[in-house]
Amino acid sequence: MNVSELTLLVLRIGFLLLLWMFIFGIVYALRSDLFGQRVRKMKTDVAPAASAVSAAVPVPSAEAFTAPVARASPTTDAELATSQNTTRLVITSGPKAGTEFPLGTDTITIGRSSDSSLVIRDDYTSTHHARLMLWNDEWMLQDLDSTNGTFLAGSRVTVPTKISLNATVKIGATSFELRR
Amino acid sequence: MQSLNKASALQTQPATEPVRRLHLPQKLRNLELFLLLIASFINAGAVVLVQLGALGELDPTLVLLGAGLSVLVISLHVVLRFVARDADPFILPIATVLNGIGIAMIYRIDIAVDDSGWESAAVRQTVWSALAIFCAIIVLLVIRNHRVLFRYTYIAGLVGVLLLFLPLVPGLGKEISGARVWISVGSFGTFQPGEIAKIALAVFFAGYLVRNRDSLSMVGKKFLGARFPRFRDLGPILVVWALSMSVIIFQRDLGTALLYFGLFLVMLYLATGRLSWVIMGMSLFLGGAVIASQTLNYVNGRFTNWLDALNPAVYDAKGGSFQLVQGLFGLAKGGLLGTGWGQGRPEITPVPQSDYIIASLGEELGLAGIFAILALYLLFVARGFRIGFAGQDDFGKLLAVGLAFVVALQCFIVIGGVTRVIPLTGLTTPFLAAGGSSLVANWIIAALLLRLSDTVRNQPRLVV
Repeated sequence: MNVSELTLLVLRIGFLLLLWMFIFGIVYALRSDLFGQRVRKMKTDVAPAASAVSAAVPVPSAEAFTAPVARASPTTDAELATSQNTTRLVITSGPKAGTEFPLGTDTITIGRSSDSSLVIRDDYTSTHHARLMLWNDEWMLQDLDSTNGTFLAGSRVTVPTKISLNATVKIGATSFELRR
Repeated sequence: MQSLNKASALQTQPATEPVRRLHLPQKLRNLELFLLLIASFINAGAVVLVQLGALGELDPTLVLLGAGLSVLVISLHVVLRFVARDADPFILPIATVLNGIGIAMIYRIDIAVDDSGWESAAVRQTVWSALAIFCAIIVLLVIRNHRVLFRYTYIAGLVGVLLLFLPLVPGLGKEISGARVWISVGSFGTFQPGEIAKIALAVFFAGYLVRNRDSLSMVGKKFLGARFPRFRDLGPILVVWALSMSVIIFQRDLGTALLYFGLFLVMLYLATGRLSWVIMGMSLFLGGAVIASQTLNYVNGRFTNWLDALNPAVYDAKGGSFQLVQGLFGLAKGGLLGTGWGQGRPEITPVPQSDYIIASLGEELGLAGIFAILALYLLFVARGFRIGFAGQDDFGKLLAVGLAFVVALQCFIVIGGVTRVIPLTGLTTPFLAAGGSSLVANWIIAALLLRLSDTVRNQPRLVV
């Protein structure tokens, strides 16, 4: 019996703390499940400011690094799709025109293979055609070296490109938009 | 328009490359691995604290056994990386912590009653955990899509009922402390087939209700604001009621009966969305229980022990409330922070390592520890409900919620019994209590929930 009472007391409280930290760790990791996605507040005030910022900031920086990206994002005054202002993906043309599904924060893979999130089974689509993912909270469209290409507002996407809200993305005979 | 023409001009060569999996980082699995490492640390810490508290020194043998559990769950994690990449990342760590805390408590009681080697319940519990996790891996490897289970609805129902009544077969069944719910398996000890039966019955109820719920939910007369079913649609609920009543009468096990009937009632409510079923079912069961308490001695005794526990006459009677009250004394001794691992005296209560493990834990970890354990159960069950909520097919929804609910109800029946909220009935606390069949069953439930969550996440959101 060479362990002092004090050591045991400290270890006992330490164990309980560890157990509770584990529980709160889990709760923290699933917070978006419990409380839902973050809701953007004060929509009316922020919207003009956000569009002003997106007009001012990304264009020079984008041009400085990759010229095609700047050209590909067509109308710089349109608001970029971010995880906050985008809630759904709407199919606008093709056989399932009019359907939509909610966007979370997960990457959306698009292609003919059935492990894609959005399966498009037509002759124009590659097995793994493209994907939509969040980079720094902004939705990016990346073409996965598809045979027939992915088109954002009419121009072919070659490098990961930021998407504007309501801009048309065309894959094969299907086009869709990201909407509020 | 130009881009469209270009697109159709380019489409002449179809994609011929073989289907490869797109490489995406396994965020969920990495989170799970991180949580598993913390879980293993908690488990190792529990065993070390038991040794420091009860023995005053470190004995390396059981630390090795504890490490065995960590190796097993990490191997389950690796299996998930290959066969269920998008499974829920929280189920496995929660089950690991509960299992590890259970082993530590059982080991602590072994020290108190001086059991060692193969006699030691902790060694047997660790071996059973290994077997249970192995079963979970097999389930994950064999069942690649939960809809396969839908095909075996009626076979599952038959298997469930057979397993439930297996202990009544003469020569095979074994009666322990009045209840006849065990079968003896050679020298390896006893097995409680009813634990496995609850999984089979959950599969059966889910499949059956998906096939037949329209007739159960759509038709019937409206009475007192609720739509009551037609008389001929009462068949299933009466059959399940008769089943659980026969468990009360022939197997003398109140808890198991309540578990199955509650499971059926909740799944029926989920499938039909009608409160009248719940009202009818509860009045049926309460009626049955009241009659049983009047006619069957053991049920009557349970009620007396519950209502009049602190009466000295009841306390001293044979089969009286001694165990229940000792458990309450233990919980009271624990207080807010507990006596600390290995420093209480949980061994005074009869069966402190199985039915009463929650009282033993309450004594040594206190209210803070009990609430932590309850929070772990809450998270486990909430994940199950969440998986059911996110599921796209009705069978998967019902099965996930049914499996999660059976864990929740079992916790309520045992912990409620120990803390004198409801009459005490013998059931095992999921993952914690000593008992191989319970461990195997609960790990299989965890594996099924993992499989369900993977299929739910993997399904395409939209097929064009």
